[in-house]
Amino acid sequence: MSISDATVAVSEELAARDDMIVCRGVDKWFGDFQALSGITATIKEQEIVVVLGPSGSGKSTWIRCINRLEAHQSGQIIVDGIELTNDLRNIEKIRSEVGMVFQQFNLFPHLTVIDNITLAPIWVRRKSRPEAEEQALSLLERVGIPEQAQKFPGQLSGGQQQRVAIARALAMEPRVMLFDEPTSALDPEMIKEVLDVMEELARSGMTMMVVTHEMGFAREVADRIIFMEEGEIVEVGTPHHFFTEPAEERTKLFLSQVL
Amino acid sequence: MADGGDVPVIGDKPVIERVAARPAEETYRSPGEWVRKNLFPTPFNSFLTVAFGLFVLFSARGLLNFVFSEERGWDAVRTNLRLIFTHAYPEEQYVRVWVCVGVVAVLAGLSLGLFASRGDGLRLRKIANGLNAAAVAIAVGIVLREPSVLVGADGETVRDGDGVVRQSFAEAMTDRWGWWLVAAIFAVIALALRRVPERSDGSPSAVQALDFAVGALAVPVISAWVYPWGHYAFADGEFIAEPGRTVAMSTKLPWTVMWVLAVASLIVGRWVRSRVDERVLARLRVVVSCTWLLVPFVLYWVVLRDPDLDWDRILTVDMPLALAFGIGGGIVLRWLTKDGIGEFGRISAVALLGLAAFHWVAAFMGWYPMLQKVRISFLLLAVMALLAHNFSGEAAKRRRLVLAWFVITTVFHYFATVMNTPSTVETPTEALIGGFAVTLVVAVFTLMLSFPLGVVLALARTSRLPIFRVMSTAYIEVVRGVPLITILIFFVVILPLFLPANMEISLFASATLGYTLFSAAYLAENVRGGLQSIRRGQYEASDAVGLSTVQRTVFIVLPQSLRASIPPLVGQVIATFKETSLLAIIGVFDILRMANSVIPAQTQFLGIKREGLLFVSLVYWVFSYMLSKQSQRLERRLGVGER
Repeated sequence: MSISDATVAVSEELAARDDMIVCRGVDKWFGDFQALSGITATIKEQEIVVVLGPSGSGKSTWIRCINRLEAHQSGQIIVDGIELTNDLRNIEKIRSEVGMVFQQFNLFPHLTVIDNITLAPIWVRRKSRPEAEEQALSLLERVGIPEQAQKFPGQLSGGQQQRVAIARALAMEPRVMLFDEPTSALDPEMIKEVLDVMEELARSGMTMMVVTHEMGFAREVADRIIFMEEGEIVEVGTPHHFFTEPAEERTKLFLSQVL
Repeated sequence: MADGGDVPVIGDKPVIERVAARPAEETYRSPGEWVRKNLFPTPFNSFLTVAFGLFVLFSARGLLNFVFSEERGWDAVRTNLRLIFTHAYPEEQYVRVWVCVGVVAVLAGLSLGLFASRGDGLRLRKIANGLNAAAVAIAVGIVLREPSVLVGADGETVRDGDGVVRQSFAEAMTDRWGWWLVAAIFAVIALALRRVPERSDGSPSAVQALDFAVGALAVPVISAWVYPWGHYAFADGEFIAEPGRTVAMSTKLPWTVMWVLAVASLIVGRWVRSRVDERVLARLRVVVSCTWLLVPFVLYWVVLRDPDLDWDRILTVDMPLALAFGIGGGIVLRWLTKDGIGEFGRISAVALLGLAAFHWVAAFMGWYPMLQKVRISFLLLAVMALLAHNFSGEAAKRRRLVLAWFVITTVFHYFATVMNTPSTVETPTEALIGGFAVTLVVAVFTLMLSFPLGVVLALARTSRLPIFRVMSTAYIEVVRGVPLITILIFFVVILPLFLPANMEISLFASATLGYTLFSAAYLAENVRGGLQSIRRGQYEASDAVGLSTVQRTVFIVLPQSLRASIPPLVGQVIATFKETSLLAIIGVFDILRMANSVIPAQTQFLGIKREGLLFVSLVYWVFSYMLSKQSQRLERRLGVGER
């Protein structure tokens, strides 16, 4: 979906043309608890960014702020040149540009796999049903489960469900994909099938922001790694830099615990 | 279960549990072992078994003695069946009642044939067990019931010094040979069923439950033609009883036709189903569902009332109005779905809603006259306009919206016209129909109206907007705090006083209104329970794919929450169905009033009340039980596979 010229004009003031996600001084509180403090980061188009950090460090909160599942209280979040404010129209626009994959898959249990995927394209993108179904089938092909189209989510394995969830997000033809711990709820033997799909997606040029504990994926696929702790960004760097010569003590401590 | 999360959860417990694998049935070497293990495992349990077994036997004996006593006047029920079911619907118009039953029979047959899921069926062995149990129950009943009272040649009971004289036990047992025969037939059929070999693939022999039910219904229908149940009628205030004859033609012929219609449409439905593919079947399902929704209105206002249409007025007022709204509204809606109309479209829709609301305010204030149906038409158009943006873009979608508007306009104006036309059917009371029919009619209309209202109330109560939340909560709490009978009396007695002078409301309508408002409050609470069981992840996923609030509610939240609240919803349906018996108190001749006051007032059956009440209870029970069985089936079907 193209953005209107007026918005583009604004966007050039807010961010450079190939900046997909820009966060400036983002703060977020849950009551008295500050979940995010002064998050400033930029994610370029076609970049794969992996966010690492101990649990409770605010990774998921940050990624959920980017499509407004959580509202931030101060600072700026600009996605594809559109700033996230309380304006519903901006939120709608950003949500249709940003696909999201959840830890718990969150498929719609009362709809078949194909209906899960086609629902939003038909009612939000206003596609015709045959067109949407054709697209859904090719997406299922892409994530490797075309034969499951008529089943219900409850009849699939966790890995298959997560791949359907990825297909559902892709069906909206997003410019950015957000992954919130996509493999954390999976049995070990199913993790690889999901990571394979994500790798393929990364190679195809999608802009991706991934919160995960999969160090292997971070090392192989990421362009940059952002390390967070206690709601702050501690260190940013390439995987090589991050895994071999981390600068910060806290990063070293974290790596010594997980590797 | 890898998706542990996708089952609705209240607290920590899943609301709908997956059907657990059935534990392997324990096997017993002999009946004696079963008895020992299940009835007399410990001395205390043996005592409980014996004590409560005796209690059950004595209760059964009491009931049997009551039902089969020579003093019972079952003739009062038998002769008054027509009265009990339809009250005073005129004899010469009675075919209209049969048409109603016939339409329902055909629709039911078609729906079952088209859509009923074919399961494993009833295993023959299970049917045999049921028949055996019935045979044993009959035999026990024969022995339990006390011997009959002797009746002399003059028809009076024989008495001696101590009271009535009874048969000896042996005489009583031989006297009840007919019942022994029934028990024996059941046992023989059961034995025969047990001998049916298993199918060639080794699975146990079974019949479809539906086929079994249809077959079972044939038994009473055929027996009406062959068995001398007796001919009992109550015509022109005269009591006609001719024991030893078969049932009257005016009863057995229509019921036979109904049965044939149901079976024929069942077969047609199955035939169609075997011919068409899934997509067509899904379309048919929509058509049949819509027909079911329309049928109550057509049957009540058109078939039963036989409206006396005033063609002059229809051609000069009603038809032009309908056409104007259909075409005008169609143009408006088509314009509202134009590409790129954007925000302006929404503003126009809201403006239209404002205009529609203004007409109602004006009516209340008496500023200018306007036909009620014009006001409602404006309101309908405004609602459609608000929904229009969902149908923008593609030509086919826009066409569908306009088409839907034409259908809605046609249906609404048709019924508005028909309902405003006086009926040609004259009955002695104000109500068109009474007895059990009025129970069904009120229950059906109440449910059809209160379901949408209840869902809206539940959504309002969980809404983020405080005004909706407060209004809905206040409404629900007020209605739930007032007894139903108070609400009914309010609507029947007090409401007419508040209405404008030119507006009348019938007893039937005001009672239905009262029931609807009452039932909606309870339904709302049930639906709210379902709404709360939807996990946050479902909302987040809907938001993340960009669904609007309305779309999220319609496609994601409501289907899941309604499914989760089926058990309490059906409970409310059954409650509403039974609560219609309060109609008797506010002066409607419903089934309860027939048994409680009308029949005991007939000169032939003066004071005979208990038989009628027992029969009425039986009718209520049969219908409630069927509803509850159906809901269990529905739960099972929706609970498995689709989750």
